Amino acid sequence: MKRFAARIRSLAAATLLGAALLGSAACGGTDAAAPAPAGAQQAKEIAVTIKDRKVTPPPGRIEVAKGQTVRITVTSDVADQAHVHGYDKAADLRPGTPATVEFVAGQTGLFEVETHEQELQLFQLVVR
Amino acid sequence: MLPLAHGIGGRQDLPIPFAAALTGAVLALVLSFAGLGMLWTEPRLAGALRYARPVARWLQDLGGAPAWRWSVRIAGLLGAAYFCLGLLFGPDRAANPTAGVLYVLFWVGLIPLSLLFGPVWRALNPLRTLHLLACAALRRDPRRGVRPLPEGLGYRPAAAGLFAFTWLELVAPERATLPVIGAWLAAYSVAMLAGAVLFGSGWFDKGDAFEAYSDLIGRLAPIGRNPDGTLTWRNPLDGMAGLAPAPGLTGLVVVLLGSTMYDSVSNAPFWVRFVQESGTPAVIPGTTGLVVVIAAVLAAYLGATALAGRWGGAAPGRTAGELAHSIVPIAVGYLVAHYFTLLVLEGQRTVSLLSDPLVIGADWLGTGGWTVSAAGLSPAAVAMFQVTVIVVGHVMGTVLAHDRALALFPRRTAVPGQIPLLLLMVAYTVTGLLLLFAA
Repeated sequence: MKRFAARIRSLAAATLLGAALLGSAACGGTDAAAPAPAGAQQAKEIAVTIKDRKVTPPPGRIEVAKGQTVRITVTSDVADQAHVHGYDKAADLRPGTPATVEFVAGQTGLFEVETHEQELQLFQLVVR
Repeated sequence: MLPLAHGIGGRQDLPIPFAAALTGAVLALVLSFAGLGMLWTEPRLAGALRYARPVARWLQDLGGAPAWRWSVRIAGLLGAAYFCLGLLFGPDRAANPTAGVLYVLFWVGLIPLSLLFGPVWRALNPLRTLHLLACAALRRDPRRGVRPLPEGLGYRPAAAGLFAFTWLELVAPERATLPVIGAWLAAYSVAMLAGAVLFGSGWFDKGDAFEAYSDLIGRLAPIGRNPDGTLTWRNPLDGMAGLAPAPGLTGLVVVLLGSTMYDSVSNAPFWVRFVQESGTPAVIPGTTGLVVVIAAVLAAYLGATALAGRWGGAAPGRTAGELAHSIVPIAVGYLVAHYFTLLVLEGQRTVSLLSDPLVIGADWLGTGGWTVSAAGLSPAAVAMFQVTVIVVGHVMGTVLAHDRALALFPRRTAVPGQIPLLLLMVAYTVTGLLLLFAA
């Protein structure tokens, strides 16, 4: 009987702890979902260079706020096409000539930016 | 991630917040060890299947009716024929639904279907139906092949088939193009039909990767057949505990979990950089990465179950196969977390494309005008959902392992025997959460 009571007590403690943890996660989540103040930020400038199949700066993640304007400038040493997935924005690249794509990041998520001919990933755009 | 050049998987989930990953990890750890002390002390799962409550009479009759079985088979054949229309006669462009149907509606869509209704692919499988029809035309018994199915084969062909499919989905060059998809499916169909001719229709049960995949996940369905064939409502844990160990089962489960983890790893910037700067064709590091991640999942599993067997005092060599079923809910939780938004978003897009498989401007299904709606999928809700399904899968796995440990180990050593299993499951779950956070 005593053992049973102890079990109930520890079960209750575990449940409370779990509930508290879940609650804290939910709060954390709400903060992340708060809409970005529209128009408050400047446009995000991103410049990428491709030479001998090497991407500079090396592929990584670039964060922007939802609603922010993103301007991506790509300079490639060969003819290619740059493409922003999800937003379906594309720019034709001519050797040595910078090409620019500009759009408003209105949709949250993670989007790959890559070239179609050489199949290089330039970076991942993270829109929060 | 999925083949991007053809437009599949345009938007991916945001990494989950660190707080959410940490919460999930702590919950998994606490619940596991709380469960160890508080759960029952005599094995009680699976045995209850015999006494599970039968479903209502009409449903029982429907499930057993030949007319119903044939309707489902014909639906499978018609679906496959419609799919082949786009595959064989459609243009090789992003507007062709073929890749979306295979990688999203079929592969990912089978998860919720199986979770709800059980091993649905067994009923729908067009290859099984083709074999059945050919046998009927030749007046042969479909269950009899040229020779009996070898006992030792078990799930090995399905594990190999699952590896081949995940390689196609995640690594193969040009994997969203029609020639690659067509060649893979042709080779797969020939292998499956050859197996059926050689060993009879029983070959499909554990030899067909997609039937085995749907069956593994379908063990968690609330409805299932008890050992005498009656349709019953059951506890999903009883269903999963009823999965009998067979050769290759461990491999099948490990490939399922490992390949999905590799999909996350391969999306991480460090991996992308490594592959692009290695200067070799992406298929080489891709294949190596897939094999290494699966091997790591397998090594952890074999190490932990061997240690559990030693500490728990079980007969040597039995623990790995006997505990494989307990990893399935963890793998399914991770699959659901990983693929949920893909199914919702790309699924809608694919259904819209399906209305015009030949890309001639037709609207045969009336879904051509669908636009993808992200109804209610806020990043916070998605993250919360992902962590929840992973923790639920973890808890189910823990309970299944606990119950089986009681049957495998003498009472005296049952608790120490479970420690390595708990640590293994916590490791899988925390890795999964970390991948959702970082990759």
